[in-house]
Amino acid sequence: MNSFRTKMRSKAFSEELAEEIIQSNSFWQDARIRFFQNKMAVLSCFILLSIVLFAIFGGYFAQWSNEEIDWSVLGKVKTEGMPSIASGHYFGVDELGRDLYARVVQGSRVSLSVGVIASIFALISGATWGAIAGYYGKRLDAVILGASQITTAIPYIIFFVVWQAFFGRSTSQLIIVMILVNWSAGLFIVRGQVMMLKEKEFVDAARLMGLSDFQIIRKHILPNMLGIVVIYASLTIPEVIMFESIVSFLGVGIQEPATSWGKLIAEGARTMQFGTLWQFAFPAAIFALTQISLYYIGDGLRDALDPKDR
Amino acid sequence: MLRYSLKRLLVAIPTILALIVIAFFLMRLAPGGPFTAERPLPESVMKNVLARYGMDQPLYVQFGTYLKNLFFHFDFGPSFAQKDRSVNEIIAHGFPVTITYGFWSAVFVLLLGIPLGIIAALRHNGVWDYTMTGLAIFSQIFPNFVLAPLMVLLFTLVLGWLPGGGWNGGQWQYIIMPAVALGTSYMASVARLTRGQMLEVLNSPFIRTARAKGLSERTIVWRHAMKPALLPVVSYMGPVFVYMITGSVFIDVFFSTGGIGQDFIDGAYSRDYSVLMALALLYITLTIVLNLLMDLIYAWVDPKVRSAL
Amino acid sequence: MKRRSFVLATLLSSTIAFSATAAEVPAGTNLATDQTFTYRVLDEFSSFDPQVVEDVNGSEVVRDLFEGLYNQDADGNNVPGVAVSHEVSDDNMMYTFKLRDNAKWSDGTAVTAGDFVYAWQRAVDPELASPYAWYVELMSIENGAAIIAGEQPIENLGVSAPDDHTFVVKLSAPLPYFDKMVSHATTFPAPKWAIDAHGGEWTRPGNLVSNGAYVLTEHVPKERSTRERNAMYWNNDATVLDKVVTLVIGDDVQGLTRWKAGEVDKTDIPAGQYPTLKAEFGDEAYALPRLCNYYFTFNMSDDGPEAFKDVRVRQALALALDRNVITDQVLQGGQFPAYNFTPAATAGFDSPDSDLANMSQSDRDAKAMALMAEAGYGKDGETLSFEYLYNTSEAHEQVAIVASQMWKQKLGVEATLANQEWKVFLENRGAQNFEMARGAWCGDYNEASTFLDLLTTPSGYNDGKFSNARVDELMTGAKSSQDANPLYTEVEGILADEMPVIPVYHYATNMMLDSSVQGWPVGNVEQTWYSKDLYKTAE
Repeated sequence: MNSFRTKMRSKAFSEELAEEIIQSNSFWQDARIRFFQNKMAVLSCFILLSIVLFAIFGGYFAQWSNEEIDWSVLGKVKTEGMPSIASGHYFGVDELGRDLYARVVQGSRVSLSVGVIASIFALISGATWGAIAGYYGKRLDAVILGASQITTAIPYIIFFVVWQAFFGRSTSQLIIVMILVNWSAGLFIVRGQVMMLKEKEFVDAARLMGLSDFQIIRKHILPNMLGIVVIYASLTIPEVIMFESIVSFLGVGIQEPATSWGKLIAEGARTMQFGTLWQFAFPAAIFALTQISLYYIGDGLRDALDPKDR
Repeated sequence: MLRYSLKRLLVAIPTILALIVIAFFLMRLAPGGPFTAERPLPESVMKNVLARYGMDQPLYVQFGTYLKNLFFHFDFGPSFAQKDRSVNEIIAHGFPVTITYGFWSAVFVLLLGIPLGIIAALRHNGVWDYTMTGLAIFSQIFPNFVLAPLMVLLFTLVLGWLPGGGWNGGQWQYIIMPAVALGTSYMASVARLTRGQMLEVLNSPFIRTARAKGLSERTIVWRHAMKPALLPVVSYMGPVFVYMITGSVFIDVFFSTGGIGQDFIDGAYSRDYSVLMALALLYITLTIVLNLLMDLIYAWVDPKVRSAL
Repeated sequence: MKRRSFVLATLLSSTIAFSATAAEVPAGTNLATDQTFTYRVLDEFSSFDPQVVEDVNGSEVVRDLFEGLYNQDADGNNVPGVAVSHEVSDDNMMYTFKLRDNAKWSDGTAVTAGDFVYAWQRAVDPELASPYAWYVELMSIENGAAIIAGEQPIENLGVSAPDDHTFVVKLSAPLPYFDKMVSHATTFPAPKWAIDAHGGEWTRPGNLVSNGAYVLTEHVPKERSTRERNAMYWNNDATVLDKVVTLVIGDDVQGLTRWKAGEVDKTDIPAGQYPTLKAEFGDEAYALPRLCNYYFTFNMSDDGPEAFKDVRVRQALALALDRNVITDQVLQGGQFPAYNFTPAATAGFDSPDSDLANMSQSDRDAKAMALMAEAGYGKDGETLSFEYLYNTSEAHEQVAIVASQMWKQKLGVEATLANQEWKVFLENRGAQNFEMARGAWCGDYNEASTFLDLLTTPSGYNDGKFSNARVDELMTGAKSSQDANPLYTEVEGILADEMPVIPVYHYATNMMLDSSVQGWPVGNVEQTWYSKDLYKTAE
């Protein structure tokens, strides 16, 4: 203990500190190099990027709009609505004879924005509050825990209904409510990790060196739990995307003619056994690709960020 | 430790009170009430109906009555939708059902998810690892509302092994499909979390030291790596376990199990305030207990956390 | 002179009326040894209390457990229940029902006129506060409305029991269809002694005393209920089904799977699957006309859009809607394209001949375009845009999408869709907080006024706030008219001209019914069925 204090005043200490900053810079650099050496992770980044590009530019290749009904196949979807290049319905049509390709493109846009944006913000909020609760403990911990317990206990449908009654209904409002409802996503995992890590020797040392709480969290605690947070995030994003479909089913989500992956999958799954498998297969496949990509990116990030390799 | 637990439970009282206040008034802010119907009730009939349930009183009086009945008689009030039964009866009937299949589902999740994750981590990039990855992705593309119909088609219609739904007092044949359908995606998540944290722990300095000491791999995994590797699973399972035992809306609707998940959705739809309040209270109580349990597990694993509590 | 009722006439002339109240098993039928009928219901019942029950599924159970004055036969006509006949006074204000002397409650007590007096008073009792008190108000029983409003004691209700087998009802105004209303669950007798003994728990199995063909033996909420043959029922010998089981199955597709697996005998058909199932299962797939309509209502109140005040716009939107596409290609469940408000299946109602109904769709489209241009909208004019409000449901959504696309492609109209959660939707529609909204109505009794009253000025269900003096006048006149049907036809004519609502289709009941189950009243448009009329044949 005493040695630490003397050290703090010494010249050696400031050098050490400088070195640490350099080291931490090189940590991120190393991480990047490590990440790009992971072939699966890089490939997954490309796939994810293609999906984003598909969502943005896919519409240019569509022969139909996402809401237009092809009257010639309406009512005969089972026999004439299957995927075909000739008819211009690359992915076939949905139950109402609307072009599934155009709908998947448009649904990707909604799901990527609602699912991804909402879950990332929710995770950031959950992680922040979790870190604060775990680090400071005591009263602050009790208050944050209490708030999260209350949010999970309130029936979310009611919350959606009330929110929309006051603030109206739109995709951006939907994103906001999704964040509010899920604000404590990952809170417990982060809180638990922080609770463990803050008792570790290196945190004591950092504290004695006079680092601020923020610095300690950022430099010593965060890198040590990034791995698990990234995995949790790659689990949460698909969950939030599917949660949107439940919310839409209950009448407080996306408004037709707009759609989303969750809605398309749910609709496809409903009619799957009646012989229109493509209605499920296409949206499910693109959702699966996204998930596989997230999975490997998460894995790659975890390996790259592992501080023990430092 | 005991003192800590008691303190935490004491702190829970204001939390519960806050929930009661927020939930009570939030519900009444939602458009439509329990008696809003396709065929609007004539004014005089509506007046009688509201009077019968005390809803003609000012809101703060209703709130007072609610608190009084709740705290002095443990009475959650009448259901507005199921007119022959009280909320106490509804919960008393549904909760045992939900907790039964939720429990078995959790057993399924942990008994399969944890070993799968550990094996995948030990055989990093091996066959088991890919199997687990495949399973994890499969289970999320086939969320329960896709998986459940497929299971029923296979096990009920084609093979005829299991009944397609119902509860029948909780015989095992009726529990299998709901428990598996409910648990599959959580099981995959648990496997992934276990695998991720296990890899991290196996890579950490203290395991390296253990390896250097020449301890067998088995000892290392069981004695040293297991506990810290499972901590994120503990954190993850806390809220998930609450979801599971408070009932999945979808599972109850689809398999007609009769659990409280169904009441949750019906209650929200029909603005059955008293049912919703009871469910919210049940939910928060379970959450509080499980959060405490989570912390105690952390303390048990890590003595330092224990001293900090 | 007193007018003898039709029921009494048939009763006296033959025994057909008697056999029609029970299962009619043709000679030589090979009956199944296990006479258990199992069917799917969507969700838990609201109640088994006849005066309290609100939902369709609950009423089906209550009709088996209790028996009212009259039952309905396979075509929806009245047949004797506890009452064998009735007489009506010359001024049509007093009905005297003659009750049978062999009717018994399941505990052996005789069913008396007093049980009906008690039940009807109970239905309007502000203390019970049954939401279905509105039904008794609709029946125009003397002092009914005042009792509900709390202005008079329940004893003043215009019902009395001069003796155990005579039940007299006094009306506050003549009601031509009064006798059609007494087969409804709200009017069934209630056992005072059982209710007094068990209070709110009197409808539990074991406590429930009933006078119908069945008694309740098991009820597991949200899962199943069982009713079994009532040995005390006066016509028990003619009952064939021993046991009737309901299973709650919340999901249509799951219901169908369990039907295929043989777990239930009857289930509903998932939206749009009727043709496929018909092809696969033939006669086991049913599409039966039903006494319900489906319409789009314009908001014609002051809050409504200016454009909808122009009758040409309303006409154009109605014309451009290709109803055949909706019924035959979207819903595909045997629904009927609707060109007027009242379903054609309604008893005694003649659908008026309207231009709308007779034109070809291409003529309709041409006329619609012309009307829109005339009103200043469409290709050369302003773009008409409005919001269409409906409650969240797959079928409503499909209809909304198809309709909006028809309007868009034919008339260049921008109809934005807005689905809302059920109660939010009701709240907004009821407060005229919409531009165009979905509407649907099912008949309370089999007569056109149950539909047309909805569009009168004082109606509480007139969400579009359409108001037409002549319609009000005709509908008031119909209440005291001997033959009201010409009046109804005239009202439909005015509606066709004014187009305050766009009729879309008239409902059909879609169901899968196992071929072993016989005796289903396919001709009953209210789908009033009784388990005692069914039987199961051996495969």
